[in-house]
Amino acid sequence: MTNRRLFFKGVAALSGLSLAGCGWRLAEVRANPNTSGQRDQLYIFTWTQYTDNQLLKTFSTQTGMKVLADVYDSNDVMLAKLQAGGGGTYSIIYPSDYMVQKMVNKGLLTEIDHDRLIGLENLFPRFQNPSYDPNNRYSIPFNWGTTGLLYNSEKIKDAPQDWDYLWRNQKQLNQQMTLLNDVREVMGATLRMLGYSYNSKNEQEIKQAYEKLKVLKPAIARFDTDAWQNQILAGDLLLAMCYSADAVRISQENPKLKYVIPRSGSSLWTDSIVIPKTAPNQAGAYAWINMILQPELAAQISQRLNISTPNSAGFEQLPKTIQNNTNLFPPESLLANCERVTPVGEFEAVYDRYWTQLTSG
Amino acid sequence: MVNFQKSDISKIEELQRPQPNWLQPLVLLAPSGIWLLLLLVLPTLIIFQLSLVADIRPGDLVNPNGFKNYIRIFDPLYVQVIVRSLFFAFGTTIICLILGFPVAYWIAQIAPQRWRNLLLLAFVLPLWTSSLLRSYAWITILRPSGLLNSLLSNLGLPTLQLLNQSQAVFIGMSYSLLPYMVLILYASLEKLDKRLLEAAADLGANPVETFGQVTVPQIFPGIAAASMLVFITGLGDFVDPELLGGASSMTAARLVYNQFLGATQNWGFGSALSMTLILLVSIAIALLIKFGETAPKR
Repeated sequence: MTNRRLFFKGVAALSGLSLAGCGWRLAEVRANPNTSGQRDQLYIFTWTQYTDNQLLKTFSTQTGMKVLADVYDSNDVMLAKLQAGGGGTYSIIYPSDYMVQKMVNKGLLTEIDHDRLIGLENLFPRFQNPSYDPNNRYSIPFNWGTTGLLYNSEKIKDAPQDWDYLWRNQKQLNQQMTLLNDVREVMGATLRMLGYSYNSKNEQEIKQAYEKLKVLKPAIARFDTDAWQNQILAGDLLLAMCYSADAVRISQENPKLKYVIPRSGSSLWTDSIVIPKTAPNQAGAYAWINMILQPELAAQISQRLNISTPNSAGFEQLPKTIQNNTNLFPPESLLANCERVTPVGEFEAVYDRYWTQLTSG
Repeated sequence: MVNFQKSDISKIEELQRPQPNWLQPLVLLAPSGIWLLLLLVLPTLIIFQLSLVADIRPGDLVNPNGFKNYIRIFDPLYVQVIVRSLFFAFGTTIICLILGFPVAYWIAQIAPQRWRNLLLLAFVLPLWTSSLLRSYAWITILRPSGLLNSLLSNLGLPTLQLLNQSQAVFIGMSYSLLPYMVLILYASLEKLDKRLLEAAADLGANPVETFGQVTVPQIFPGIAAASMLVFITGLGDFVDPELLGGASSMTAARLVYNQFLGATQNWGFGSALSMTLILLVSIAIALLIKFGETAPKR
């Protein structure tokens, strides 16, 4: 038997081996039986803008525990990392509302024991029983906002009022506008503009939204959730689709950049704090949530990190200028047309197919 | 005078008895072999197994049930993405070859000997910085209000819209991979036998003929190896198309990223795409092994 034949037989045997190990579960996340390990350390997994060194230091001085924060910039990346790492070391995670629902459905979260929380009653009434998590069983709201358009009011004279501004001014905005790199936000906004729902389960409607976006695509510079910030500040972009939290921060740096919630409706989102079932330090997790619920701290981070706090006691402590900031705390009238993104079950594949067609073409 | 006793001699003979033929290679290869087995072969087998499961999501049972994922790759949409990856990789290879060869030739043959190491070091220096930082630097240069356009408008020339297009991707990828091309070409060009060039000149060949018929065949293995390295690295490049490309620069690597870290979570299809990339790279390496030794005959 020549060496080459022996080699190929070996390769075939190895490949056969790969089929032999069937029946294992992919990316299984098992509950952590040891929930009081790591007593002196807390690992949190959060968005880039939701924490800073001062907040971590406040927690350390209050509880004596060392806290380390890892950051992510996308819900899906967070979910994949959680599943691929078998749960990992995080005791506190900050998913968005629809992601909370997804994680509950996958059985990744522990129920939060409200008896161990102090100050839950401080939240505004509408956050006591949100639609995505009735009675806050699994999550505690941290920040909320909308999605809209941030535009350069110096260079754009007639302010955009609605999503169709992008299509009507496609030529002037050519290669100087970006959309979010999020399938539900972009498809949802187009669906809303066409008169349908953000959570449409009708393939015809979704296809219509895709066709509309295909027309707009040559004028879009990039699908981007983060990098547009530097570019719009530098003047390379005239208009960007963005989250209100980012818009508030950018507007403070350059007041000429204005944020608008489109008239036909936009998405209303809430980012919450959850405790995964693999959390190694549950006591630390509850201590963290209790710290966030303190009114003084809620007011502090609202000012420092531009958080739209759902804490009414904290809201009271804010200076009038921040309370009246309509980008941070939009009034009910502006929110009337806003819709929450919810999971759409098996239609996720339909949205994904059209999104892949849109971004890969 | 050392006293050798009979028992000593037999002990020495024992030590010199030949060991089994396979023992020495095994011992020498074992550390890296085990490393490769655990960290390369095993993960590839796991990816292969995953790619055989259609519509698998994290948390599902892994039961291979056919080649549905691979059949899906033949969809024109995904073929377009893979072709775009090949286009970027191939184009980058050509650009690096055109830009890198003169530099390598100059350093190897024309520059003074004592400066050669310094020049090579200077050329390889960008590799010491993070490739991500280099791509971000290109964003700063190629932006509409960036360094390049500022320079052009100061000179009175029209500004270029390079960022968020394929051109920016080519620039970024060529810049990242040029040092590799120069290094490998230099290694080949250093061994160029000048006497053959002189002989060709004596026999009446002009510089172009000498280059084509004497220089290139001599260094062809180096050209082949360098091109293959740049091509393979460019095929799997994620960072440059992601940062510098616009809305129409989806490559295979980014598509794999979307499957694993996006909303789809179809790890089976992502694995199938990865296996396809591995297959393309294997084909490239096979071509290199078969044709990379000698230049094509005229």
